[in-house]
Amino acid sequence: MEIKAKRLLLFLVLLGLFVAGFLISLLKGPVPTGPRDLWNLLLNQDKTYQTIFIDLRLSRALSAFLVGASLSLSGAILQGYFQNPMAGPFVVGVSSGASFGAVLSIYLGLNMTIFGFSLQSIFAFASGFTIVYLVYLLSQRKGVFKVGTLLLVGIAAGALASSLTSFFIFLKSESFEQAVFWLLGSFSLSDWRQITALAPYFFLCFIVAQWLAKDMNLLTLGDETAQSLGCPVNRVRKIFLTMSTLLAASSVSVSGIIGFVGLIVPHWIRILIGPDHRYLFLFSSLTGGIFLVYSDLLARTILFPTELPIGIITAAVGAPFFIYLLNQER
Amino acid sequence: MLFILSSTALESQNKIIKDELGTPYSPAFPPQRIVSLAPNITEILFALDLGEKIVGVTRYCDYPRQALSKEKIGGMIDPNLEKIKSLNPDLVVGFRGNPLRVLERLKKLDMPVFVLEMGSNIESVFTIIDTIGKITKRERESEALISSMKKKYSKIQTALRSVNHKPKVFLSLHGKGLWTCGKESFLNDLLIKAKGVNIAGNIPRRWLNYNREQLIHENPEAIIILAKSEEEFAKAREWIRVGSYLESVRAVREDRIYFLDENRTTRPGPRLIDALAQMANLLHPKLFNPPL
Repeated sequence: MEIKAKRLLLFLVLLGLFVAGFLISLLKGPVPTGPRDLWNLLLNQDKTYQTIFIDLRLSRALSAFLVGASLSLSGAILQGYFQNPMAGPFVVGVSSGASFGAVLSIYLGLNMTIFGFSLQSIFAFASGFTIVYLVYLLSQRKGVFKVGTLLLVGIAAGALASSLTSFFIFLKSESFEQAVFWLLGSFSLSDWRQITALAPYFFLCFIVAQWLAKDMNLLTLGDETAQSLGCPVNRVRKIFLTMSTLLAASSVSVSGIIGFVGLIVPHWIRILIGPDHRYLFLFSSLTGGIFLVYSDLLARTILFPTELPIGIITAAVGAPFFIYLLNQER
Repeated sequence: MLFILSSTALESQNKIIKDELGTPYSPAFPPQRIVSLAPNITEILFALDLGEKIVGVTRYCDYPRQALSKEKIGGMIDPNLEKIKSLNPDLVVGFRGNPLRVLERLKKLDMPVFVLEMGSNIESVFTIIDTIGKITKRERESEALISSMKKKYSKIQTALRSVNHKPKVFLSLHGKGLWTCGKESFLNDLLIKAKGVNIAGNIPRRWLNYNREQLIHENPEAIIILAKSEEEFAKAREWIRVGSYLESVRAVREDRIYFLDENRTTRPGPRLIDALAQMANLLHPKLFNPPL
């Protein structure tokens, strides 16, 4: 199949899955509801149905979508940035750094909110950023920037952050539920504040990424070639690194660590439609979002009314499919 | 003949008791150096007037206050074997909530370990206290404790006999989030005994993270929050009241969100009946006037 036709087909499939995923998420739940109730809600704004449809189900599906899209976009950027399919928000240490910040704030008992952001999110954000910035500085030698070193330093820094996270969770061993949340992720208590906190970052980063996608394509030719073709390599690299950090840290602070999405989704898409970043960013975001919407549907229904951590689902579903695709590719 | 007689006499004096792992234990003399591997065990030991004999407790043992000044041997899941050994105990009291490999290791190290049951309902507390009384040779004290607890217990039961409406309850286990207890937890038994209905009481698990929409759907009349302090409770209540989309739940609308002390309520020990009384008071305020 020609690449254009492939892209169109994939887009249509994703669109269908997107609509279906949101419809199922809206209609499926412990309170029995049908399409008619949804219609009634649109017509005459019933308060109970508003809570169920809008505040519980829609907010949950939307935050799952946004987190999935953010993590996948972050992964797509990082994989292009490092020209390495192994890269992802976890490999570079962002996610571990962010979850460390969140867990640290719990340990310190900081429960404040500043300008609508919980101190916990701010901590997550700050330490995710600190880790990446440290990694970035450490992998530079006299202005020369080595991708291989960066990846290794990232793995080491991520491991350090994870060990500190485990340490603080261990110190406060009574708050087991917090540990489960931060290490395996969950959308069971998502609300509109989280969405309003997450959405601006995602859309801003998405637009900028789309805008700089051509430069990312040039970067894959090597920094010198890219420079000679008119790409301001250093600036573009800084912007991309900042964006991928922002995306990963903001999603971790909303939903805890959700593994595999940021690594797998961009990889799938590359296998399916090739490495052109102009499409890779868009399709990765869409697929990652949809993937998490369905994963969350499973997380809340498999053991109903018990909530399952979503990280279990993403790894269990994602990994075999990933292996299958890799096998197909060969 | 004489030999048989004397040996049975001896046996009745030193009854051989088997612990939860099936290891026989015969208390030849009252233990002088006891290590406790759980907070409820520590509380029972103190209640049996064995406080002075305790040489080691877990880092969670905080009641009574004297327990705080005892040597710490680690936690329930991660006790330090070397530390325990160094205290040279003549009795280590553990329970099935300690990891099996830890208990077996202690036994292999020739330490005098006695393993108690986990405690799955109120009645099992009496068994636990009775067993501790036997292995520490404090039967008189343990009988007195049990009978005073049973007296309180039957008083509560009598008072609750006239209850014909059992309120639906959601029991919140932690500060934030919707972790609750299922059918297999003894908190569920406590709720049943206090004539309440646990909305998660049919789920065959001990602990679980409850679905929020299902909570709204079940519409409990009361929410009980187990917290370590009033302050922690206030925070948790505030979260339930505002911004958690639970405003439509009856317990929230009617402001029936209650505080129970986490330690007292979750430990199968001497204070459990008091916790039950408190729970019954909260669920049936009209019945207990004045409160028990």
